[in-house]
Amino acid sequence: MSKNFKLTCLLLSFTLVGLTSCTKDPISDISDEESLVYITNFDKSADFKEYKTFSIVDSVLLVDNNKSQPVLTDIDRDLLEGLIQNMQSLGYTYVSPNANPDVGITASWISNTYLSVTSTPYNSYWGNYYGGYGGGYGGYGYGSPSYYQYSQTTESYWLISMLDFKNPDTTNKTFNVIWNAQIQGFGIDNTQLISKMTSSIFAQSPYLKK
Amino acid sequence: MKNKSLILLLFVLIQVVTYAQDKPKLYTLPSPYERYNYSLATFRYTGAVPIGNFSNDYIDAPSFKNYSVSLEWVLQNNLSIGGEIGSTYFDQRIARNMYESSVGTISAVQTRTLSQYPIQVFANYHFQGKNARVQPYIQLSGGISMLDYSLYYGSLADQYQKIKPTYGVGVGSKFLFKQDGAWGADVRVKYQGTALKYDYVKNTVSSVNASVGIFYRWW
Repeated sequence: MSKNFKLTCLLLSFTLVGLTSCTKDPISDISDEESLVYITNFDKSADFKEYKTFSIVDSVLLVDNNKSQPVLTDIDRDLLEGLIQNMQSLGYTYVSPNANPDVGITASWISNTYLSVTSTPYNSYWGNYYGGYGGGYGGYGYGSPSYYQYSQTTESYWLISMLDFKNPDTTNKTFNVIWNAQIQGFGIDNTQLISKMTSSIFAQSPYLKK
Repeated sequence: MKNKSLILLLFVLIQVVTYAQDKPKLYTLPSPYERYNYSLATFRYTGAVPIGNFSNDYIDAPSFKNYSVSLEWVLQNNLSIGGEIGSTYFDQRIARNMYESSVGTISAVQTRTLSQYPIQVFANYHFQGKNARVQPYIQLSGGISMLDYSLYYGSLADQYQKIKPTYGVGVGSKFLFKQDGAWGADVRVKYQGTALKYDYVKNTVSSVNASVGIFYRWW
């Protein structure tokens, strides 16, 4: 009986490991276009009707782990042109930066690389269950079992911002961001999708329309 | 000589009578499955239909990616008890839509998933004998489920993993392939609920699961 019980436990353990090890990737079939996520936000106190003119930066700011430099590749140029076209179709007038525009548009490509500690999937299930142990062992830390692993993640996205040149914050000497948009996903460097990206962020911001 | 023949005839008669009396006993002896507790292992493939708030608010697509194995001990009375571990997986792709959140307006294609690895103990009550070709039963089960709620906005994921209590109630039937045999089929319909309150799921991940399985029993 004891032998049968041990065998049963062993079989159940193997079965559990077998069932749980079949990890699925639910987005393996997603297209570049479907992977794109557009996040827009705006200053609720801003009255967009008062802004008539805009200018735009002449290059994209490449921000890579807190180091930044202006760049202008083909995809950057397409992005800037798309932003101009969409602003104009919303009723804004494109002017030179020297012509005192009401708002300024900036575009950045942000790329951050993180080194993080992760655990194998099932360790995290027990994350909240260690509380009862070690109460009398002041000064003890947690050991790192072998199932922890280090992973490097690179997160890249477009960040487009609209700055309020008309009402600068003179105290802090800053321009307030009154609208911004983030574009994330596998397909953000797909040149075929740049036009779609720029039109999408404005399409979901109807309050910008004159 | 005559006496010897008579004795031999008498001996043969006694043997025949003895054999005739013993033979029916062999066939009326209950099967070992009826005389002893025995073990029974079942492998099931399951189709699951989400119901309740889980269906209304998160995933309403049926799932056909579910499996389980169980091991039970069939007792001398009408009961059997055992354990079952399984894998269930629901997913659904939602066309691009806009969602309001604390970070602003999000436009994305959502891929909603929920996977579980339930580990349960159960009790079955059988309405027929151990060797009936058709053995209907009812089942109550309870345990824990290792649950993974992963909601993808495009390629960005919001993941929540937790161990949650799970429970179920079902009806089913075992079908022996042959009288007194070791192999058979199992058909079961079961309500399964797992407590979860996170994001789109308000209180329970509930589904109706229909499974077909094959079992092997031994003593």
